[in-house]
Amino acid sequence: MSGLAPIEPVLLSRRGKPDSASIETYLEDGGYASWKKVLGGAKSGEWTPAKVTDLVKASGLRGRGGAGFPCGMKWTFVPPKEKRGDKPVYLLCNADESEPGTFKDRLLMEMDPHQVLEGMMLASFALDVKHAYLYIRGEMVHVAELLNKAVADAYAKGFLGKDVLGSGRNLDITIHRGAGAYICGEETALIESLEGKRGHPRIKPPFPAVSGVWECPTVVNNVETLCCVKHILDRGPEWFKSIGRNEKNTGPKLYCISGHVEKPGVYEAPLGVSWNTLLAMAGGVKGGRKLKAVIPGGPSAAMLTAKEVENLPMDFDGVAAAKSMLGSAAIIVMDETTDIPKAVTSIAKFFAHESCGQCTPCREGTPWMHKMLKRIVNGEGKKTDLDLLLQIAGQMGNGMTICVFADAAIAPVLSGITKFREEFEAYVAKSNHPDFALAAPEDLTNKVADRTAAGIHS
Amino acid sequence: MAKVTVDGKVVEVPNDANALEACRAAGVDVPHFCYHPRLSIVGQCRMCMVEVEGVPKIQASCTVPVRDGMVIKASTEKALAARNATMEFLLINHPLDCPICDQAGECKLQDNAVGAGLPVSRTSEPRRQFPGYDRTPIGPHVIADMTRCIQCTRCIRFCEEITGTGELTFVERGGHTFVWTHEGRALDNDLSACAADVCPVGALTTKEFRFRKRVWWLDKTRSVCDGCEIGCNMSIEHRDRIVYRTLPRVQPAVNDFWMCDYGRFRAEDLNRQDFLKPEIRVAGSDARKQTNWGEALDVVKIAIDRARNEEKNIASKGRVLVLGSARLTTEENWLLKTLFEDSLKVGTPEFVVDKGPKRRIKNKVDGWIYGTEAAPNSRGCEAAGLKRNRPGDGSALDLLLSKKSFSSSSPAVLYIADAAFTERANDLEFVLLLRQASVLIVHARVKNALTDAADIVLPSAPLSGKEGTFVNAKGRVQRVDTAIMSPPVVRTDLEILLHLGGRWDLLDTRWTARDVFENMQASVAGYEGLAWDSDAVVGNPPSISPAAAYDVLGLERDPDVEVFSRPSVAAPDRRS
Ligand SMILES: Cc1cc2nc3c(=O)[nH]c(=O)nc-3n(C[C@H](O)[C@H](O)[C@H](O)COP(=O)(O)O)c2cc1C
Ligand code: SF4
Ligand code: SF4
Ligand code: SF4
Ligand code: FES
Repeated sequence: MSGLAPIEPVLLSRRGKPDSASIETYLEDGGYASWKKVLGGAKSGEWTPAKVTDLVKASGLRGRGGAGFPCGMKWTFVPPKEKRGDKPVYLLCNADESEPGTFKDRLLMEMDPHQVLEGMMLASFALDVKHAYLYIRGEMVHVAELLNKAVADAYAKGFLGKDVLGSGRNLDITIHRGAGAYICGEETALIESLEGKRGHPRIKPPFPAVSGVWECPTVVNNVETLCCVKHILDRGPEWFKSIGRNEKNTGPKLYCISGHVEKPGVYEAPLGVSWNTLLAMAGGVKGGRKLKAVIPGGPSAAMLTAKEVENLPMDFDGVAAAKSMLGSAAIIVMDETTDIPKAVTSIAKFFAHESCGQCTPCREGTPWMHKMLKRIVNGEGKKTDLDLLLQIAGQMGNGMTICVFADAAIAPVLSGITKFREEFEAYVAKSNHPDFALAAPEDLTNKVADRTAAGIHS
Repeated sequence: MAKVTVDGKVVEVPNDANALEACRAAGVDVPHFCYHPRLSIVGQCRMCMVEVEGVPKIQASCTVPVRDGMVIKASTEKALAARNATMEFLLINHPLDCPICDQAGECKLQDNAVGAGLPVSRTSEPRRQFPGYDRTPIGPHVIADMTRCIQCTRCIRFCEEITGTGELTFVERGGHTFVWTHEGRALDNDLSACAADVCPVGALTTKEFRFRKRVWWLDKTRSVCDGCEIGCNMSIEHRDRIVYRTLPRVQPAVNDFWMCDYGRFRAEDLNRQDFLKPEIRVAGSDARKQTNWGEALDVVKIAIDRARNEEKNIASKGRVLVLGSARLTTEENWLLKTLFEDSLKVGTPEFVVDKGPKRRIKNKVDGWIYGTEAAPNSRGCEAAGLKRNRPGDGSALDLLLSKKSFSSSSPAVLYIADAAFTERANDLEFVLLLRQASVLIVHARVKNALTDAADIVLPSAPLSGKEGTFVNAKGRVQRVDTAIMSPPVVRTDLEILLHLGGRWDLLDTRWTARDVFENMQASVAGYEGLAWDSDAVVGNPPSISPAAAYDVLGLERDPDVEVFSRPSVAAPDRRS
């Protein structure tokens, strides 16, 4: 009995139902049962915030937003009432979904908005939240409208507002539209943006759980994570844990498969499903061509070669073992016809465009890498370019910046050039660049060392 | 306090210090751009990278709060490589045209490029430009050139956190990010030029100083602004007898890092070359003639002696009325009082001080310090024993100004030590009231209605040409130094009074401001126990908290702070 056996859709169980976004059909399908159950038992003490948190902890649910952080553990970082005093706790549902190739949260919100809202309600109960926000990517105007309607319906049915379902508890949900910036998906940038400021990631610590939006304890969770919470409350942590590769990678997972496959789309499978199974679900490589590379978790994740991805368990730890990351599970499939240098250039353009611009290495490094890559694929590369690119990328990440955007921006460049170097070299070989006298990067390293030895560094 | 080890050296720093401050306290220079001691920490420039023991990743030291027992490694290969990297990133898009940049010589980017950074450039990509956002005024004083901006946000934070006016913001994103004013606004607040001070590079410069002088040619003299009684500590920066600019000098107990635009741009005033010459009225005529100092002072003595003799005869008080000025130093006002009241016994000198616009400066010790007067030293006048005039107080000056006394009781001599002691000195009606005196004697920096009406004009030096002390709003005694020797025809008010006193053998003409200071100390409240030579004489020193003590420690090492290593041209030898 493997947790990897094919499953009935959970998060997508209502996909394809007529009018699935309406509150009526949601209620017909048993929606809001957990919310009623929890609130109904709140007065008697049968249901307490701690109990909900414990269930989520027991389920092994890891955040679906990218980092895979254990959800229940994150919730326990919120200081207890004695410590936080009068400060309210906020729940922010991260629906900024902007990682290229990621389109699962949008599907969840479009298809089944009440599932998202119920997840937010249950998490709010667990965290003692009186006001939760859903921060939605600016471009998704129609989804925001749909969510606003869903929220209004939930108020009308008494699932939100004052004294919800006679429980004596209040809960408000506000849908907040971003202005269209990828970086606002980073949780502290999201918080700044929600406060009405530029989306600049904050220095951590303090972490949002201690001081987040308006300096109050704040939990940021991804849309899919919160949907999972609803199902954990519906069916229990044991059921949730029965799905998935192992104790650390549990539950159903949405995979966004795009690129060179026969049937691109969102697929639901147990977390940790093998690469080969997933590829088969998506109908295999387009036109039966050969697989060249796979981006397993959005452009922020290092590329994997066809060989590396073979039979790889597609979960947080499985992909990490292959020195990449599952991220948002945005799987971009590239077949043998793909020009990797061009693909890397296109990704580099995205990151240069989306850097928030606070930190020097990221603000300056991302456009620099893009300019060089563009030059290379335009046939003006220099022999020294590839090593220089690796060196630039090597000095942007690992603590050099405030947030991990820079680490994300260098992953495709580093992995692309190391794993497909011949393709880049082919471009440089054809180059008509005069290759004017520039010392090779190695020489510079020596000069730096000389200067250091001579005590020129302060 | 936390004990922190930096490169093997143990220092104690306050618990709220960060690792960068700890490094500086330990004498280890860690280059930085966005960190500023008075602005919030943003950790954006990524220049101050160090290693912290037990933390695997490299850290921006300004963002790391100190912990007792923390071990910082600021000079490891990894740390230097990280700073190299940041420096390289900063320079790939920088115009690198220091020869035509006005910040050259006091530019953090230049300084840090020498300390960290590659010897050659590895980029061959086209450099970023900001057409339309270069060399453009963004306010009455500040000119912005975004090609030079390093996006450190110091200026933005200054306008948000110090002035609270928030004119500036980041515009655009990523590599296109630049600083500008919010739509429809100008960088126009009381302290706007300080934004150019905090800017580490040549992106913000002041219209007034831009391209006037290469900074390395400037001599710096410590002084105090005489715009109001806050008494912002400032540096007069000059060369060849021209004041090119005045800059705030860091003083946590007064102006901290700041000074107001009004005070700063008074430098223009210091440069006025229309000095007066000693003049005396030709007997029985409307005209005055130029004379030499000897004759001028002789005539002053004669006029005063005659009035004193008359006073004996008709036994009326107030025949010689003396006006000091809150614009003069305490030493000068004290000489007035010693000479006229104590020695010549003609009554207590009075002074009038105009109300000025309300000014305020944020500082570390008081939060805010306020100024309401149009002169720097009313407290010094009072301490020296002068009488503050209040309308209706029945004093000699009050009688004169109330117009009823145009009679034999009008003063025979009105001696005004500062012809610009009030705004009204340009108001003819007011001058006529003063003119009721038989003989009107004035010290004057430049011509005004009052000097036109005077019988004897004694030309005096501007602030930049004298030394002495002022007492500020908080009772702090602060010294100004001579930046520029005035032309020989001009004397400081102190010299004028010493030489006048010398006419009766009452004062020693060889005295310097320091001698006066030391002689008056015992009798002037607030001056007891002070030393002329202590760094800007400090009166009633605020009790120094550990944080403030650290502050002083830190500031000594702050490259933002002017280092007065170079003696000013006019420094008297006694002070060396
Ligand atoms: C550059 C960047 C972009 C991100 N974008 C998103 C996003 O669009 N949606 C999301 O849920 N999380 C995003 N994240 C992750 C969030 O910071 C955060 O970890 C997540 O929302 C936490 O939710 P979870 O614990 O439920 O996964 C992003 C992180 C980074 C560094
Ligand atoms: S790493 Fe990039 S995106 Fe993240 S805070 Fe720094 S500049 Fe902004
Ligand atoms: S203008 Fe100057 S102070 Fe402002 S962000 Fe740019 S470099 Fe920093
Ligand atoms: S606040 Fe007063 S003392 Fe300070 S600079 Fe302005 S006028 Fe001068
Ligand atoms: S000084 Fe520390 S990051 Fe700028």
